[in-house]
Amino acid sequence: MSNTLRPYLAAVRSTLTAALTLEDFASQIVERHNKPEVEVGTSKEVLLNPLMISRNENEKVLIEPSINSIRLSIKIKQADEIERILCHKFTRFMMQRAENFVVLRRKPVKGYDISFLITNNHTNTMLKHKIVDFIIQFMEEVDKEISEMKLSLNARARVVAESYLLAFSS
Amino acid sequence: MDAFRKIDIDQYEEDVLLEEELYDADPRDPATVLTDTKSKVGAVRGSLSKGDIAGALNLVLDSPPYGPNVEEAKNLNLQTLVSILNSTKSTEIPAIVRALSPDAQDTLMKYLYKGMALPGWGDVSGSILLTWHEKLTEVAGTGCIVRVMTDRRTV
Repeated sequence: MSNTLRPYLAAVRSTLTAALTLEDFASQIVERHNKPEVEVGTSKEVLLNPLMISRNENEKVLIEPSINSIRLSIKIKQADEIERILCHKFTRFMMQRAENFVVLRRKPVKGYDISFLITNNHTNTMLKHKIVDFIIQFMEEVDKEISEMKLSLNARARVVAESYLLAFSS
Repeated sequence: MDAFRKIDIDQYEEDVLLEEELYDADPRDPATVLTDTKSKVGAVRGSLSKGDIAGALNLVLDSPPYGPNVEEAKNLNLQTLVSILNSTKSTEIPAIVRALSPDAQDTLMKYLYKGMALPGWGDVSGSILLTWHEKLTEVAGTGCIVRVMTDRRTV
């Protein structure tokens, strides 16, 4: 892992660990409803201060904690047009299958590429440190995945162009 | 849908919770806060030129501006703090952080998150803030981060 990525992930890890102290909390507005307070946002006393961790303008994580749920949004590094397209396709692919990832949100928060919504039900059924590990591992892998895809895309484009232009060389 | 269904009727209730009831307001008025912060800038610069980073940090973290109407003082204080952070050698950070009082550690953590929320603002540098964040978490633990999340007196 590169030297600048490590403190970034360490900061996300400690912040996420601190934020993942969730408990069951029924809605104060509607009787017999129990919804993630960070999503409905109707009672401001149960929403905590949102925290942002950033490496630079293009790579940042927003953690919005509340009493029974937290929302974590990631902005993935996109250096050029190809990376932007790849990132869009990749996150779209995952978000269409959001129920298989349990904590993934179907839509990202505005200004970010992918969002996770972790509620108290998730922390009840899953181990907290495993959830944190999952998010950190995702963040590690996604950069690698996208740069790998970019390399293979470029290699493929080169081969295609070569064999296509071969027809004109003779 | 008819527009009247969207009206938030709870806001007209008499026991509605207001933003300013969530925390005790700063007793000083905005103008005093601004002059206080401005006078601190000079003192901090003095300590920095003597190489007394711990003293400078204690000065800037003492009674920071918070709440509404003091945006200018908040920005000024953040700028002063960032200049201290930028001029500290990374090997000195653990000792400095350990010497701070718990309250000052919490305030420093608040400013670190505020700085990270404004990437590219002034001379804020992500990697320096991340280094400080890491060292501070080692000393103060996750409890410090929880206090930043729950404290409504945002700097």
